[in-house]
This record gives sequence, structure tokens and C-alpha cells, in this order.
Amino acid sequence: MQANLSLLLALPLFGALVLALLGRRLSRPMVERLACAAIIAAFIAALTALAGAWGETRLVPLFPWFSAGGFSASMDVLYDPLSGIMAVMVTFVSAIIHIHSVGYMRGDESYARYFCYLNLFVFFMLVITLADNLAFLFLGWEGVGFCSYALIGFWFADAERTLAGRKAFVMTRIGDVGFLIAMALFFATLGTLSLSGIIASVSALSVGTATALGLLLLWAAVGKSAQLPLLVWLPDAMAGPTPVSALIHAATMVTAGVYLLMRLFPVLALSQAALAAVGAVGAVTALFASFSALGQRDIKRILAWSTISQVGYMFLGIAAGDLCGGMFHLLAHAFFKSLLFMGAGCVIQALHEEHDIFRMGSRVRTAMPPVFLLFFLGALALAAVPPASGYFSKGRILYATLSHGGGLFTLYWAMGSLAAILTALYTFRLVFVAFFGDPAFPPKTWDIEPLPRFMIHVLWPLGALALLAGGLNLPGNFSGAEWLSHALRTVPGADAEFHGVSELAVSLADAGFCAVGLFLAWMLYGPRTAPGRRGPADPERFAHRMLRSGFGLDALYRKTVLTPFLALSGFMRRVVDEGAVDAAFMSQGVLWARTSMAARRLATGRTSTYLLTFLLGLAAICAVLLAKGA
Amino acid sequence: MIVPLEHILLLAFILFLMGAVCALARRNLVMILLGLEVMLNAAGIAFVGASLRWMEMDGQAFVLFIMGVAAAEIAVGLALLVYCWRRSGSLDVNVFSRLKG
Repeated sequence: MQANLSLLLALPLFGALVLALLGRRLSRPMVERLACAAIIAAFIAALTALAGAWGETRLVPLFPWFSAGGFSASMDVLYDPLSGIMAVMVTFVSAIIHIHSVGYMRGDESYARYFCYLNLFVFFMLVITLADNLAFLFLGWEGVGFCSYALIGFWFADAERTLAGRKAFVMTRIGDVGFLIAMALFFATLGTLSLSGIIASVSALSVGTATALGLLLLWAAVGKSAQLPLLVWLPDAMAGPTPVSALIHAATMVTAGVYLLMRLFPVLALSQAALAAVGAVGAVTALFASFSALGQRDIKRILAWSTISQVGYMFLGIAAGDLCGGMFHLLAHAFFKSLLFMGAGCVIQALHEEHDIFRMGSRVRTAMPPVFLLFFLGALALAAVPPASGYFSKGRILYATLSHGGGLFTLYWAMGSLAAILTALYTFRLVFVAFFGDPAFPPKTWDIEPLPRFMIHVLWPLGALALLAGGLNLPGNFSGAEWLSHALRTVPGADAEFHGVSELAVSLADAGFCAVGLFLAWMLYGPRTAPGRRGPADPERFAHRMLRSGFGLDALYRKTVLTPFLALSGFMRRVVDEGAVDAAFMSQGVLWARTSMAARRLATGRTSTYLLTFLLGLAAICAVLLAKGA
Repeated sequence: MIVPLEHILLLAFILFLMGAVCALARRNLVMILLGLEVMLNAAGIAFVGASLRWMEMDGQAFVLFIMGVAAAEIAVGLALLVYCWRRSGSLDVNVFSRLKG
């Protein structure tokens, strides 16, 4: 078990190190094979680990790290079904994205750097997944943040992409402050940072401390998972290569916040207030982001906003106490959203870097039927069309929210349901506009570049999972076995039962919401709609401007934070630094310079002057001594 | 003691003054060193006189020290002097004014 887990962590790290040190000397096929082999081997290690410790929770020591005073941190692994399944998902999706990247990056000369960062990212993500100690987890947490920064700004010659990377880095650091304070509070109250230790002694926490911890963890998760109010970095993060968006900004890293909340769910469960806050963030973000997705024209930005919205659902699931539902949606979302991103990547590359869906049209579908089919499968899952995976996972969360009871959670359910209608609407707006009919605007070129076939066909496993991953946890009323709930039952806090509302009724309602969304999309953007009416809304209209800019959140931050901060820095530089600190030092220097100019006249260069001065001094001393003696 | 202390101190004072004037007024480095020697020996005479006046051996011990220091000083001084001569071909003290402010 220990060897297996060490391998799981060491393989991607080894791949990254070899690529970092020797990457430029290895041939391109060597680099590609090495990177992919490291991740596929890690996937096999994750699978065997899961099979070997099925249903068990084990604390596996790997390395002692450091200890100071009463504090100690070690690189141990807390292996339970939650982390086991997460590790399998991470390595599986990563493996497919690595192989897809070989095709996607075929024309790029910096392939060694790309695969090095990608392998390093997988390592850090596995650290988050497996770590027992919060300090160790934080190492991975910062590591994925760094890789995300490096990969968003991968094409660093373009200043805008570098800025997007920097923005993502700074915004997520704001969340990390919450993480650090939470760690300090854990150590102050429980004296340990070990997850297993925290969960074992969680009953020692008072409700007030638990609320504070819950809110701090929520703060940390909000930064990493791009929820309100720290979500503005994710749409800009689309500046990176598309497989990176699929891996980091859809499937794995942005769900790290959700995963953290799941790992520490027993702490959250102590405080109703913290849970309600998590639910508020989730519900509002889900609704907010699905509105914003409606206003986008860039295919990747639509998917980015939909990621934010879907992660909001996961928060909602956790708030309702439904760990399994949150994990279910996390897995399903990882499959269908990485599929959608890579499908979009294929389209973008085939159309010579065309991002605007209004310049695509049916030529894309007829030229690349497999890409369309894969994208369509992902869209079915995202729009929660039964029986695709998203229908069951999102339905489970909405069901748990409604049966949680109370006016607040009923409101959350209503917001989530409205967001579900909007999700179906914007998803099929994307599908209809990008793959059907004539483009509303003339494309820059009608040429469609053929893509390597393996790059498309490697996505089929994801396509199958997007359609069928609902089978992981088919609800009882579909005569399902609830496999995931069964697997996760030993995870602390995951044994919640939901009653009070008919699950069948909620499922039917979900299907109804989806149908409403589909109907609206068909009426507004369907292939039968008049071409003139299918075009984008007037960009000058207020409502459209709001949706396109994400309700002006970026501008708001610019106005309230960035501009005052820049003004303050300008003031500090001109007035405080140059005006006060520098001026004080400068005037001191001028004083000494003048004094020495006056003193240099004394140094005449004539030895006799010096001697005379010396003798006069001696005479003066003698005179003083004489006067004293007398 | 036959010679009164005042006479010895007067002699020492006159010798010291002559040495000082020699060191100040001459520009030749050799003469400046000579002047310094004379000043040191004037102080030595004062010490011996005081030692005899109060019958204490400390003054004579000091004179021995002064002789040692003077020997060392003249050795270093003459070495520097030779060096200066080799460098600039002159013993005029005003030639060596590179530390002028």
C-alpha cells in the first residue's frame, strides 16, 4: 500500500523533474511518451490502490517533514474512499488530457516546458487529494496555483495572457489567506493539523469556533474554486492552452476547494451558520454564472462561466450535507466539462484560433462529425438531459437541498432550479449557434484544418462517461444501486439520509426544468429560427452588457480595489518614499558632503603644518596640565 | 645633586625647542628625522633629571624605553626615506603631498 501510494505521488513528480532538467535535450517523441507514461502509470497505481484498500480508511506514513515545538507536520497520506476515488478521477482525466495535448501542442516548440508543468500539476493535485496534514495539503494547494499561473501565461510573449496568469495567481492568493488563518486556528484549538486528528477530536470544538473555521475554509475554497466574490479570474484564465483549461480550470484544480470542504466536512457540519453560508455562495454563484454564460460569444468563456456555475452546485450539495451528491457532481462534471473543453479546443484549432461561436456554424459539424458528437454528449450532460450523467448528479444535489428543509434551503433550491433552466438554455445556445445553421458573421477563413485523429478519438472514454457516469450513483427510484454512496459511506459525514420529499417528484421536476431550457434554446437559437434573429444581441443594450461582463464585477473590483490601490501606491512612491524617506537620506548626505568640503582645507599636504599643529596641541595640553597643577 | 633640576629642565626645554624648530623649518626629510631625534633626547634628559631629583628609578627606565623606540623609529624612518628617494628622486618633504585635501 505504502509503495503503491509512493509510486502514485512519485511518478508525476519524477516526470516533471526529468522534463525540467533534461527536457530540452530529449527528442519530442521522448518527451511526449515520458509525460504520458508517467501519468498512465500513476493512473494504474491509483486504481490498484483503490482496489487494494476498498472501503477502508488508512493513514499511511510516507516521510516525516518537520517539527518545531509542539508543531509537527509530516508527509502522510490519509487514504479513504473519498481520496481514493478522487485520485483515480484526477489521474484518469489527466492521462486523457496528456494524450490529447500531444496532438494539441504538435505545432508548439515549448512542448518540454508544457509537459513539465502538466506533470508537475498532476503531482501537486495528487498531494491535495491524498495529504493527511493540512500543511502538506497546503503545499499541493500552492503548487497547483503556481502551475495554473505558469500554464495560463504559457504563451508569455503575449502580455495579455501573462496578465491573466498574474490575475489568477493574485486572486487565488486572497483565498489562501483564509486557508492560513484556518490552519492557525486549527492548531490553536486542537493542537494538530492532521486531517485524521482533526476529525477524531472534532467534538472538542465549540459551535463558535466551528463557525469561524467553516467560514475561513469557505473563504479558502471560494478563492480556489472561483466562486463569488473571487470568481473573476477564471474567465480570464482561458488565455492558456485549451487542454490546460480542461485539466486545471474545469476538471481538477477548481474543484480543489470543494474537495477541501468535503475533507473537513465534520467541522462544517457543527455549524448551521457556516453551512448556510456555503449554500448561499453556491446558490448565488450558480445562478450568477449561468446568467453570465448567456452573454458570452467566446466558446471557452461560455464553458468557463458554466464551470463556475457547476462548482456552485457542488458547494450547494455540501451545504445541504450531501457529501456524496457533491462528489458525484464533481466526478460527472470532471468528465463532461473536460470533454467539452477539449471538444472546443479541437474546434478552435481546426478553425485557425477562432473563438467566436457566431463565426462557426454548421460547417464545423459537417467537417468534423466525431468532434460534434463528442461535444454533443458533453452538452447533454452539462444541460442535465436525462439520462446523461449531469442529470443524476445535479438532480441529487437539488433533491438534497430541497429535502434539507427550511425556508433558506428552499430558496437555494429555487435558485438552483432556475440556474438549471439557464444551464440548458446557454448550453444549447452554444450547440445550436456553433454547430448549426449559417454563421451570423463571416468567418476570417472558411478553411478547416484537419486534426490528428488520435487527438479526437482519445476523448471517447470521456464521452462514454459523460453519458453513463450517472450509473455511478443511480438513485433508488431508478432501481439504481447508489454505488458511490455505498462506497463513500465510511467517509466522515457522508452517511446522511434524505427524506421528506419525494425523490421521484424532484427528478421529474429537474427533467421539466431541462425541457424548459431546451425549448427556450430551440425557439431562440434553434436551426429553424430565422438567421437574422439568431445573431448576438445588440452589444450596446444594458442587459447584454451586464451579462457579457459578468455583471460588471471586474469593473467593480477595478474601481473599488485596483484604482484606489494604484493611487495609494503612487502616493506612497511620490510623497512618502521620494518626498520623505529619500529626501531625508539625501539631505543627510549633502550635509556630510559640505562638512567634508570645509574640512579638506585643513589637509594642506605640507608636513610642517601637520607638525606645527601637533606641537601646538601638545603645548595646549601642557598648558591645561600646568593650570590644573597650579 | 650638584646641578639643580631647574637647569636640567631648561636644557631639556632648549634642546626640545631646537629640535622642533629643526623639524618644522627644514624641508629635507633627513633633517626632519634628526630634529625628531633631538626632541626625543630632550625628553630623555628631562626624565633623567627628574629621576635624580626624586631618587626614583622609573624615570631612568623610561629613558631606556625612549631609546628603544627611537632606534626602531629611526630604522623605519630611514627605510621609508630610502624608498622615497627611489620613488621620486627627491628628499624634499613638500614633494610628498598626495594626501592634500
